[in-house]
Amino acid sequence: MPFPPPTGTFKIDFGGIDLIRSRDCVVFVKGETFEVSVDPAMLASGWPGGQGVRWVNSSTDNFTVTYSDGRFGGYLIWGSLESADQYTAMTGQQLVYGNAVMVAGRGLISTSSYERYTYASRLGGPPFVPLVYTASTPLFFSLRGLWTIEDELSLSGSPLAPALQAGVVAQVPKDVNEFFLGVQTTL
Amino acid sequence: MSGVSPFFANDVFRTRDVVIFVKSKTIPVMIDTSMQTGGWPGGQGVTWLDDPNNDTFQVTYSDGRFGGFLLWGSNEASDQYIAYYKNQPTYRFAVMAVGPWVISTTTFEQYTYASRTGGGPLVPNVYTPGEKLRFSLRGYFTPEDEWTLSGDPRAPNEIFVARVIQPPVPTINNNYLELQSMM
Repeated sequence: MPFPPPTGTFKIDFGGIDLIRSRDCVVFVKGETFEVSVDPAMLASGWPGGQGVRWVNSSTDNFTVTYSDGRFGGYLIWGSLESADQYTAMTGQQLVYGNAVMVAGRGLISTSSYERYTYASRLGGPPFVPLVYTASTPLFFSLRGLWTIEDELSLSGSPLAPALQAGVVAQVPKDVNEFFLGVQTTL
Repeated sequence: MSGVSPFFANDVFRTRDVVIFVKSKTIPVMIDTSMQTGGWPGGQGVTWLDDPNNDTFQVTYSDGRFGGFLLWGSNEASDQYIAYYKNQPTYRFAVMAVGPWVISTTTFEQYTYASRTGGGPLVPNVYTPGEKLRFSLRGYFTPEDEWTLSGDPRAPNEIFVARVIQPPVPTINNNYLELQSMM
């Protein structure tokens, strides 16, 4: 074979990686991690991996988070009761001890925790209008702390608007990635 | 002897397109076919590109949008006659830098957008310490908002990617732009 090989004839076959996405949040490049306490609301209802959270005041000397309402603190790397944790030592562990692992800073993840439908259609009822994710679009946390391309603080008329950009779309949800959203985290 | 370290006499050998002073995060990425054939300098700004048939994190030249910048050029003079020669375009990968780096680079717009596209004499861009930088329409660091200047419907470009630390000066830094990246 001549060197360098003709374009397209010889390359690393990234397409054959066959990544098994068995968790809500798959990490490609890790950000900074913090051990945090979760508030009673989160303990009662649970959360998926990739859930956006924000800081909340606590009566104890613990750094405590709750569901993001569009504000940024970070995202939780593991869900409270993911299927991949069943029948392992992690089963219900975070809920029992009231702790979680929050990630902030620059990283690259693939997650199923993102908004599927526009804020307006979710609020107004059916029909639901799908959000169209395109590469390199800014990402925010929605009013319930899921990744979205909409600034829901502005759309809802919140005095906290505008939302901080928390990431960039690195890969759109599609068949070959099991409809996970690729996120480059930027905060 | 005063005991003061003569930092000004550091004599950094700038033999690459990007010289790193402080390192931050790196992300290995696949490059698209246009970058594979066209090549790129170290410090090239890139943006994410989606391939519907491939589960791959892939980038292409930035058009003002952010993804990061590529640390190493596709065919730098320093890579000749070594094992790294054309390694990246051959295997279609690159190393993308994100976060707060401090670098010195040749990959910045030397001349204003108007003078580059207007056909007249080239007018040098003026870089000022502390000034915010964007990516140009071809992914080079620049102080100008080329979305606004080109009438791009996405204007204004408020995606700030870096700050100037030291402007390019031939006698001090071999005409490299020293900057702190931000995103």
